[in-house]
Amino acid sequence: MNISTSTAQTVAAAPDLSVQIGQMRLANPMMTASGTCGYADEYADFADLSKFGAFVTKSISKAPRKGNESYRVIETRAGMLNAIGLANIGLERFISEKIPILERMGIPVIVNVPGWCAEDYADVAERLDQELPVVQGIELNVSCPNVKNGLSFGTDPVRLAELVAMVRKRVKRATLIVKLSPNVSDVAVTARAAVEAGADCLSLVNTFTAMVIDIEKARPMLANATGGLSGPAIKPIAVYMVHRVYTQVAKAHNIPIIGMGGIQTWQDAVEFILAGATGLAVGTALFIDPAIPNKICDGLRQYLARKGHGSLREIIGTLKTD
Amino acid sequence: MLLWMIQCAAHDNAANHATARKKGQFAAIVLANTQICREHFLLTLRLREFPASEPGQFVQVLCPPPDVAVQSAEQAVAGLQEVFWEPGTRPPRFHDPDFLGSQPYLRRPFSIAGRRDDPANAVSDIDLIYRVIGKATIRMSHLVTGDSISILGPLGNAFPVPEATHTALLVGGGVGIPPMIYLADKFQRAGIKSIAFVGAQKADLIPLHITGDVGTQASSNVREFAAFNTQTVVATDDGSLGNKGFVTQALEKFCESSAVSQGVIFCCGPTPMMRATALVAARLKLPCYVSLEQPMACGMGTCQSCIIKYRSGSAEDWVYKLTCKDGPVFNSADILW
Ligand SMILES: Cc1cc2nc3c(=O)[nH]c(=O)nc-3n(C[C@H](O)[C@H](O)[C@H](O)COP(=O)(O)OP(=O)(O)OC[C@H]3O[C@@H](n4cnc5c(N)ncnc54)[C@H](O)[C@@H]3O)c2cc1C
Ligand SMILES: Cc1cc2nc3c(=O)[nH]c(=O)nc-3n(C[C@H](O)[C@H](O)[C@H](O)COP(=O)(O)O)c2cc1C
Ligand code: FES
Repeated sequence: MNISTSTAQTVAAAPDLSVQIGQMRLANPMMTASGTCGYADEYADFADLSKFGAFVTKSISKAPRKGNESYRVIETRAGMLNAIGLANIGLERFISEKIPILERMGIPVIVNVPGWCAEDYADVAERLDQELPVVQGIELNVSCPNVKNGLSFGTDPVRLAELVAMVRKRVKRATLIVKLSPNVSDVAVTARAAVEAGADCLSLVNTFTAMVIDIEKARPMLANATGGLSGPAIKPIAVYMVHRVYTQVAKAHNIPIIGMGGIQTWQDAVEFILAGATGLAVGTALFIDPAIPNKICDGLRQYLARKGHGSLREIIGTLKTD
Repeated sequence: MLLWMIQCAAHDNAANHATARKKGQFAAIVLANTQICREHFLLTLRLREFPASEPGQFVQVLCPPPDVAVQSAEQAVAGLQEVFWEPGTRPPRFHDPDFLGSQPYLRRPFSIAGRRDDPANAVSDIDLIYRVIGKATIRMSHLVTGDSISILGPLGNAFPVPEATHTALLVGGGVGIPPMIYLADKFQRAGIKSIAFVGAQKADLIPLHITGDVGTQASSNVREFAAFNTQTVVATDDGSLGNKGFVTQALEKFCESSAVSQGVIFCCGPTPMMRATALVAARLKLPCYVSLEQPMACGMGTCQSCIIKYRSGSAEDWVYKLTCKDGPVFNSADILW
């Protein structure tokens, strides 16, 4: 067998993984989840970041934040709790120190923006939108369960709609993504509020509010008492929520979903895509293997080829429930 | 989960061969995993093209699946276990009481305790010394020669090297002893005189080979340090070996009674012990470097979990630094203890 031609054929036949998310064209659906991948190139020694579909930064707030006291994390069965408290270097240092690195990475960059009032979000989003062309997407973290009041935007559809509408007016260029909180009784309600207020894309899920108790001291393990649960433990709930948002809201409005929550294998990724996700983010699993997004792409190509699909887009939301 | 870990290990080496990196993800082969005292094991791993490392640095270990062969037949409820080795093929040692299978999820950090390179074959052997205290270390104790595990590293910064005329005082408590062995090796090569001070609660919790009477003075009867021409002072809380009391007391006594010229303290151990060492150093006006331990989720500077309060600006001012990236080694005077 002639090896060079067979390789060429494999390459030619490789299924297309590219996806469109708002204004962004991604070579593949795999991104990092905010807060699990640093600001820019921290994983460069462990994975080829240029092969990621997009890079999502840690939450960047207007002013720098020290964050919570230690302990900030605790492992649980098949996952972990975190209560970092949105510790970050703040917008100015982010722009001067990290943007140049992000520009060199050569993949679409999405900046995650937290806030404690609507103006916080809008001010940061506007700066990013107007001054930094490398920032192609802005993801509003309306669901961080660790900071007081942060809960209210993501769990109250009225306040969420007001927030999104206000940011929408000031973001002209970048794709506006709203990251939904799973700590609600029906995620379709907040999803609809965000979409009707002008979101270009929805990402879900953020972490589930949870607690671990130190039985020796009879105190919560985390300094913040509660933390957000992430990792494989939440995956089936996240898949369900993506499917619910897709069928109830996103499909009709033609709004793409970035799915996340416990993704660590290509099989996990396929579940999210069938449920309705266009993009996928890997979070906690990056702590164990930063190259997981690349490995998932390999697995997705093989799955699509085996199933006879030329493109990943063919299977988005094709879950059969009849 | 098991399948996924095997895939990780298999993928790692291929990804790393391309470039000479400062750190990376590697598949490591177990050369030996031997119990050295009641709760400590010495794990020696062989890696290909492992980047240069320094004492103070650590690796993140992806822990192996549980050895369910140690469970009794009643416990091994059919279908609950992912793997089942033939009874007797693996040495039964510590048992995880959570037999329904609570797998460790994240990697676990361990200091590099020693390293030997074979540059001709691009092969390095690294030693880890670990104490069995929970689910991950229980599983590590079941590793046997030939097993493969995934390693991330080398991570973190290194202990600084003092001037050749200085005396290095290596202070290790419990699981803080391992990096001191690697440091003794480095200082011997650099021509710096070191003296080790090691402490534990009891004699049988010292993860070192005692080859003779250690007394209360510095002796050459601790094999791991003697191998690097380093004498060792031993202390145990209960007096079952060496000096009775904390290792910091033995350190202070030694420094006051003998004329140590220009001592520099290097310390690793439980936080209270490092805090006490920092106070001794301040009293004796000696520079002191500590290798801190904090809960770590990533070890790569991305999760922000491993924070310590680091002095900056005026007396009461501080910033958070990351133990995994800015440390684990810090000047003890910079830490807000
Ligand atoms: C930079 C660095 C270097 C290190 N180097 C070494 C080294 O060289 N050698 C070494 O032995 N160790 C070292 N450690 C420590 C080592 O990483 C830990 O001992 C290891 O992670 C323990 O993992 P485990 O799964 O076995 O224990 P875990 O299962 O994580 O348990 C840890 C402890 O917490 C307790 N615990 C768990 N849950 C609860 C609860 N709900 N309530 C009360 N208590 C609870 C357990 O009983 C146990 O005592 C290092 C750590 C760091 C940060
Ligand atoms: C340590 C840690 C820090 C996180 N920080 C943020 C953050 O700053 N902003 C945010 O929107 N989400 C944050 N998240 C949530 C993740 O982006 C993601 O939504 C969640 O962890 C679920 O995905 P996973 O199971 O793959 O981790 C964080 C998660 C972890 C584990
Ligand atoms: S362990 Fe994640 S930042 Fe240090």
